Amino acid sequence: MINNGDKLRERISLLNWPLLAVVGLLAVLSLINLRSASMHSATAFHLAHAVWLGGGAVIALAMAFVHTRVFIRWSYVVYGVAIALLVAVALVGTEVNASKRWLDLGVFMVQPSELLKLAIILVTARFFHERSQDDSYHLHQLWPLFAAVGLGVFLVVNQPDLGTSLVILAIFMSMVLFEGVRWESLAALALVVVVALPVGYNVVLEDYQQDRVATFLDIESDAQGKSWQVQQSMIALGSGQMWGKGELEGTQVQKGFVPEHENDFIAANWAEERGFVGMVFLLLVYLAFIVCALNISRRADNRFGALVCVGVAAMYFWHVVVNLGMVTGVLPVVGLTLPLMSYGGSSSLVMLAGVGLLLNVSTHRRPF
Amino acid sequence: MRQLPNAGREKPTAHYEGRYMWLFVICAVAFVALGLRLWELQIIEGERYYHASTDNIIRQVEVQPPRGEILDHSGVELATNRPSFDVYIQPSIFLANADEEVYELLKRYLSLSQRQLDRLRQRVDAREGEVLVSRDVSRSDVARLQEDQMRLPGVEVRINHQRYYPLHHVGAHALGYVSEVGPEQLRELQPYGYRRGNLIGQMGLERVYEELLHGSPGLSREVVDARGNPVSEAERDFLIGEYQEVGVVPGRDLVTNLDADLMVIIDEAMQDYAAGAAVAVDPNDGSVLALYSKPHFNPNAWSGRLSAMERMRTDSDPFRPMMDKTVNGYFPGSVYKIVGTWMGLAEGHYEPHDEETCRGFHELGNQRFRCWREQGHGRVDAYSSMVQSCDVYYYELAEKVDIDTMAEYARSFGFGEHTGIELPHEQAGRVPDREWHEERSPEGYQRGFDLNTIIGQGDNLTTPLQVAMAYGAIANGGKLYYPQIVDEIRNEEGDTLFEYEPQVRKRVDIDDEHLEVLREGLRGVVHDSQGTGRGSRLSHTEVAGKTGTAQVAQIGTVRIPHEERELHRRNHAWFSAYAPYDDPEIALVVFLEHGGGGGGDAAPVAMEILDRYLTRDTPEALSIRLGEKFDGDDET
Repeated sequence: MINNGDKLRERISLLNWPLLAVVGLLAVLSLINLRSASMHSATAFHLAHAVWLGGGAVIALAMAFVHTRVFIRWSYVVYGVAIALLVAVALVGTEVNASKRWLDLGVFMVQPSELLKLAIILVTARFFHERSQDDSYHLHQLWPLFAAVGLGVFLVVNQPDLGTSLVILAIFMSMVLFEGVRWESLAALALVVVVALPVGYNVVLEDYQQDRVATFLDIESDAQGKSWQVQQSMIALGSGQMWGKGELEGTQVQKGFVPEHENDFIAANWAEERGFVGMVFLLLVYLAFIVCALNISRRADNRFGALVCVGVAAMYFWHVVVNLGMVTGVLPVVGLTLPLMSYGGSSSLVMLAGVGLLLNVSTHRRPF
Repeated sequence: MRQLPNAGREKPTAHYEGRYMWLFVICAVAFVALGLRLWELQIIEGERYYHASTDNIIRQVEVQPPRGEILDHSGVELATNRPSFDVYIQPSIFLANADEEVYELLKRYLSLSQRQLDRLRQRVDAREGEVLVSRDVSRSDVARLQEDQMRLPGVEVRINHQRYYPLHHVGAHALGYVSEVGPEQLRELQPYGYRRGNLIGQMGLERVYEELLHGSPGLSREVVDARGNPVSEAERDFLIGEYQEVGVVPGRDLVTNLDADLMVIIDEAMQDYAAGAAVAVDPNDGSVLALYSKPHFNPNAWSGRLSAMERMRTDSDPFRPMMDKTVNGYFPGSVYKIVGTWMGLAEGHYEPHDEETCRGFHELGNQRFRCWREQGHGRVDAYSSMVQSCDVYYYELAEKVDIDTMAEYARSFGFGEHTGIELPHEQAGRVPDREWHEERSPEGYQRGFDLNTIIGQGDNLTTPLQVAMAYGAIANGGKLYYPQIVDEIRNEEGDTLFEYEPQVRKRVDIDDEHLEVLREGLRGVVHDSQGTGRGSRLSHTEVAGKTGTAQVAQIGTVRIPHEERELHRRNHAWFSAYAPYDDPEIALVVFLEHGGGGGGDAAPVAMEILDRYLTRDTPEALSIRLGEKFDGDDET
């Protein structure tokens, strides 16, 4: 912890300024974009988003100055809280669009599955950190980790929220592969998944749960809703052409053709108004973010820090890839946000908490 | 927790060196792939998409669901839908191509007034989506519009549903009508999906069951060019693929307990009277067989383009055609005497055969209260006071009890309370008690009020429906049911979604012995040689009933032409009955507003209704009769 002024000054000097600049830039872009997306809706999304971002920034900075070992020590507790909240959602959650993802806290609603992303990153990092093994792992060494992740993912699939559960698995697998698993084990794992999925679907899940998953996977049955959305989103994107239609000039989004345009489909607004150039710029900003995260990871003092950074980088990466994939019509619509750009409290807070973890690792290393 | 590894050793993260490059490469590849996809969409196909996105090219039209039907107990349609040709303007196409001349054409073809034209122009200029120009246009006008289609860009005719009431004015107050959502309603209802131009139930069942009858709208999408013509199939598939329709959910159908034939019979029986109401219920389960209020309005006119004439006519009629008189409060007159008779027996003031002497009046202090029969009734007991409707018997009783006791017995019969019928404007009526008088009467409570109250004058107000329910309770042995108009809710396939069960609202706490006195009295009204309703007895069926003639103290606030003043000073006439006496299947109330006398006017009307109802033909013959009656009467 912080003992005196010198130490604090040292910590501040170790803050990763390029990362802060990139995140600040993303925040500014998101507010400009949401302002435009709010023009024709009753809610001023950009103002609400600014509040969430402000709150997230405070959390991130606070996290930067807590000692890393606090995170190591509390990582299992965070996981426990996330699981407890997910169970609470299953019991008393609020149903929106036929899936239970939200916990109504009276003042606002939270999505515990977002917290699970952080929890999985922390738990996985601590697991490998404690073993600090240099050889690649055998599958049987990893079973506690798989069990922990499996439980969480099961609860999220059951909501049902396929997008979030897949992205959690993707983050987790990114970290495991980065840590190193024997190729034989990996092959065995793939086999287990291929066998376990149908068995688990038929044996573990109740009928109504099966229905939920089936509904979710069945694009045909939801053609009216989702594919219309994608179609309109593609028209919005494509019509932006090279330079875009200009600020507040996007007809597709402004006229309400794209549902969820402030949320998962926020990229449609950006692309329509800023064009290909704007989208490439946005991609470069996200790439810069990932490079910063990997940089911090490489200079980390311990494996926990290094792995946490890789986990956060993976979280941003998968969100960006899956979100843009679905907005451009190459991936199915699974409901993932574009980090920080999409309006949404839970998502933005978790994304900024990820930034907090990066800052923390950055400030808790010995200066060279 | 474990110690962080020492600085002296090899850096613990050295394990990961070399792997970062792989991560970076993977990220870069994925982002380049996304970039290529964006290149494809925005640069290669960009122009095509740009055209797709320009002004309103993809048009979404909300498809209104057919409104649920309202049926009578045997399936006769009381409210249904017929096709209506509605004319719309698509502002973007219209404004791009049309000039002043087009407005003139529209004005001529659709006979719009200058004011309507100006308002139309405003709404088109606002460009807030399509504008409804005219509803329910005649076939010949549609033909003219379509012939001139080339000169009317952005003007189109679509077929929508128009509400239609085959029985016209019969039962109009209970059924209600539909009309466009008003501006104030719209503000409130927008969150529930209502848009400008949508129809909504405004009265009666249409209003109460709006949520069920309404259904939910669907969407129809099409791709048109800047002149409003559909684009090629290939272009359409590229832009919206197969997502052209989102299905509508039709409204639910209501199957009611109403009997269309009975309501028509009532309409015919009441034709000589200008104003009034009739209510028929099944005393065995509270189902409402008929609701009728007069003067009526034509719900077909009110649901379509209401002419200024029709509105003026209804607004200026002193008998207030838009008021549902079945659930409005009036002085009950002598039909109220069931309360007094029961109270006298139950409070122990009289045995059934205890007598009073009627000399034609009763004196309280220096005030003289008259019996309706100036020469008096002589000696009367509980039975004969009902049969002959002697007022003095009740005046004597009123002096023995206080007004609050009287109110208690009245409320036991359901007076002064809502019956709970599913109609929006039901009045509770009024049962005056001491507290009410202290508050409302200028000189506070006075003894004399008791005497007026007990014979159904004074400040009592009861609705025809309340009277019907109370007499129903006498018929069925003391059960006061909730009146139920709707029996069943069905979906468009005819499957039953919900069925209403009869519900007892409360039991009238009356001894069998006292009930028997009431019943015999009611039978005597019709069948005793002294009975006030003896003139209209039926040869084939025993009927129990009570006449009522309520004096109208003053004319209300509505302005009444001088020549009609005399008419509005006439008494209200009531007849409340159930039949057959031994095995009641109908309780009927006929109320004639300023209609004259209970025995002379209301009883004959009620008896004609009962006669025809109890001896009528099979339902088949009835539907033919209904068809003949209202066919060819459709165009409004």
